[in-house]
Order: sequence, then structure tokens, then C-alpha cells
Amino acid sequence: MNDPLSKRATATEIAGAVMSGKAKALAVVDAALARIKAAEPTFNAFTDIVAERARIRAVEIDRGLHRGPMLGVPFAVKNLFDIKGLPTLAGSKINQDGPIAARDGSLVRKLEAAGAILVGGLNMGEYAYDFTGENAHYGPSRNPRDPSRMTGGSSGGSGAAVAAGEVPIALGSDTNGSIRVPASLCGLFGLKPTYGRLSRAGTYPFVDAFDHLGPLARSVDDLALSFDAMQGWDPDDPVCTDRPAEPTLPALLEGINGLRIAIAGDYFERGAQPEALEAVATVAKALGATRKITIPEAAAARSAAYVITAIEGGQLHLPRLKSRPQDFDPDTRERFMAGALLPGAWYVKAQRFRRRYRANVQKLFGEVDIILAPATPCTAPNLGQVMMTLGGAELPVRANLGLFTQPISFIGLPVVVAPLQRPGGLPIGVQIIANHYNEAAALRVARALEKQGVASAPPA
Amino acid sequence: MAEDKPDVGRLVDEAAKALGLPIADQYRANVIVNYERSLAIARPLLEVDLDDELTPAPVFRP
Repeated sequence: MNDPLSKRATATEIAGAVMSGKAKALAVVDAALARIKAAEPTFNAFTDIVAERARIRAVEIDRGLHRGPMLGVPFAVKNLFDIKGLPTLAGSKINQDGPIAARDGSLVRKLEAAGAILVGGLNMGEYAYDFTGENAHYGPSRNPRDPSRMTGGSSGGSGAAVAAGEVPIALGSDTNGSIRVPASLCGLFGLKPTYGRLSRAGTYPFVDAFDHLGPLARSVDDLALSFDAMQGWDPDDPVCTDRPAEPTLPALLEGINGLRIAIAGDYFERGAQPEALEAVATVAKALGATRKITIPEAAAARSAAYVITAIEGGQLHLPRLKSRPQDFDPDTRERFMAGALLPGAWYVKAQRFRRRYRANVQKLFGEVDIILAPATPCTAPNLGQVMMTLGGAELPVRANLGLFTQPISFIGLPVVVAPLQRPGGLPIGVQIIANHYNEAAALRVARALEKQGVASAPPA
Repeated sequence: MAEDKPDVGRLVDEAAKALGLPIADQYRANVIVNYERSLAIARPLLEVDLDDELTPAPVFRP
């Protein structure tokens, strides 16, 4: 049991301490704010800190005005979430002039309804079109495992804030890998739920077809705790499922007996550096998984995800590309412009292909419950690095950090990233992929790895 | 038969005109680089054959 005021404390530990009266919410929040103040000059995770609001909420909790399973837990959100009273930056300079949020985003309200306390907004790649965590306007978020390295993105501040121990939980968004890539590069647990499982209301969009929200944390319990608090239908997000919420926290006690676990071969073994494949092998061995399966047409799936992203993103930002091109981050501007010009025929073909791919992958889930794959093809690149070598080829870092995440979010499958710390080296994550709406199975597997000490996410 | 490669510079210029998107000279070269990159990344999708019956789902349900 960690001291609830320390940077090692998990959300579960903090909530337990506050609920039992062993710690005051105000003391927890003040300790988090002090850590943020000390850490920010190095990691640049936050763009906004809402200290006064957080303290007011903490005092209310200490007076017994709020209850819930996340009582007193400080958390922060990628700055594409609406925070009442602030412009929703989405990593951009342009949105500084945008509307001031009239209320918090849906998931922020749900976490606060569960007793958690928002402490701030987090840095991110501009408009989420990013796998690096770099940002020309606000500076890069820096990887707490090695501040000369990328956090990964686009939820880079979310990765940095949790890995540095500033907060135990942060929310991010994941369109093509933007939770899973920073979880892998910063050595954290991350959950990208099923498409439509969590409401996206009150967040700035990127690619409606693939936009997901979810938590990054340092323990599997914390992923499940926050996921359970955020589930539920929301009329404000037309994609949000009306299936009843299914709590995952009780399922963690079930272990992995009965789960059929396989390793993704073929596409997911190519173009990865040895440490990515070693991480999958280590996890497979720990789980006793030997079966290898092929996800058919994964390369075309990645290609289709890229096309839909480029075209939806380019179309979304077209008015601003016309009126304020000089105010974009140079690393997103010309990609958005090119995306806006791509043929519509590609988009329709990608959507038609998606239907077939989804049907074929669902057939696989008749034979297995879990598929393991690398989260990133490599450990954290250096800040500013443009090219990297993968499978003998020189490839752009930006387009390729999501090589293994894109074919999965393309059809909205739930994924937990389990981080492997590598003594003397940088961490790397493994994707634990389950069938739609079966987040519980992926969390159970992550929990088994955590229990065995194979996966872990101590603060840096 | 040698593949007919599109003139991406011209393609970008004309598509941008059709869309009413002015692309300043200082951005143009990198837009072309990104368009060419997109052509390469899109290739595996473009090579896939789809049955005519395979329509996009009007509402995507995972």
C-alpha cells in the first residue's frame, strides 16, 4: 500500500484512503498540484492547471458533499476534452480563439460524479493528427522514462502526466493509436474501449468513424475503476451504445482461465524492431499462449484507416486550412491539406472494405478470445526524430508509430496495452485485443500479467 | 507495361483549385510530399477487390 499522497499511489489506493478517512481529499489534491509544479518544467504535460476548482471540489468532498468509487482521485484530461470556462484547444493555436466551454465534457462529468477531481488539461499533438506528442505551439510533451525522447501521441501529455506520477489517471483519445502509442512509449497501462462504448460528447472531434476515448493509468485496477465509472449511454453522442453498462472491476478477480489467447502473426511480425516482438513473446510465454493466427488483410486495413483519417481530418479542418493556414502546426498543416485533396473514391472503398474486414475478424473471435500484438514497432524515438528504420526500410516516424494500432481501431475492437519495463532500456507495450464489448477479457489478461510482474507501470 | 504515374504537383494544384483551397508556395512542396506518401500508403487498399454487393454500412456498428 503506497502513501496516498505519494506519486506512486494508484487511484484505487487514493480512493480507499479518502473513503476510509485515512487521507483528506484536499491533502491529496495539494500533493498532486505540488508534484505537477515540480515536474512540469521537465515534462510539459499540462497546458492548463485548474488548481482553484480542484481545491474547491476537494473541500466539498472532505465535507462529505460527494461520494463515489473514485473519491478524491486527481485526474487530468487531454485538452480536446471540454473543461468549463476554458477554450477546448485540441492542441491547436487556432482554438484559443474558439468558444469557451460552457460545461465539462461528458466523461469529465462522469468521473467527477464518481468522486474524482479534475486538476487540468493536457498537452497533445495538434488536432490529434499525431503519433509523436510533439507540438509546435506548446512544445513537446517529454517522456518521463527519458526526457530526450518522445512520449508518443497524440495523447502525449496524458502519457507524460501519468508516467511522471503527476496524476494517477489521465484521459486520452485514440483514433488510430493515440492512447496505445503513448502507453507503450511511456510504459503505462492504457485502455481503448470498444467504439461507441464511452461517450465522446463534449470533446473536439478528429475522425468520427474511429474516435474513441479512454484512460491511461499505472495499474489495471485503475483502468477498470475509471472505465466502469465512465460507461453508460449518452444521448449527446449519437454513436454511444445503449447497451447496459457492464462493470469490469469484479471480472478482474476471475483470472484468465478459459480464455483462448493467440498471437497475431504475419503483418504484426513484420516491420517491428526486435524489442517489440520480444515483448509479445514474453507476454505470450507468461500466458501460456502458443497459437499463432493471421488477421486477414491487416495491411489493407491499415491502409484504409489511413485513407479515412486523412480524408475526414482534411475535410473537418478545410475551413481553417482556407482561412488560417499560417496558424497550424507545420507538422499537421500539409498533411491535412493533402488529406482534403484525396479522391472520394478511396474513402468509399475504405468504408466498404471495412465491412468485410470486420466480418472476417469477428470470425476469428469464434476461435479465440484474445489476440496479442505489438503496440508500437519500437521504443520511444528521440524528440525531433523524423525517420526510423523498420524491417530494413527507412520510414517516417509520424506515419509509422501506429502501424500495429491502426488495423485494430479501424473496426473499433477494445484493446488494453500492457507495458513491459526493460531494465536499462525503454519500455514497450503489448496490445491485448478482445472482441467487441469484451473489455473485461482484455483487462483480465492485463491483470494476470501485472500479477505475475511481467507488466508494470511504476512512476518514473 | 510501365505504370502511368500521376503528375502529383499538377493533381494537387488542380484539386486545390476545385476545392477552393489556396495553397501558398511555401506549403506546396510538402503537400505534394504528403500526397505522394498517401498514394503509397493507400496502395494495399486500392489493390483489394470488393464484391459489388459489399456496401458500406450506413451506421457503423462494431
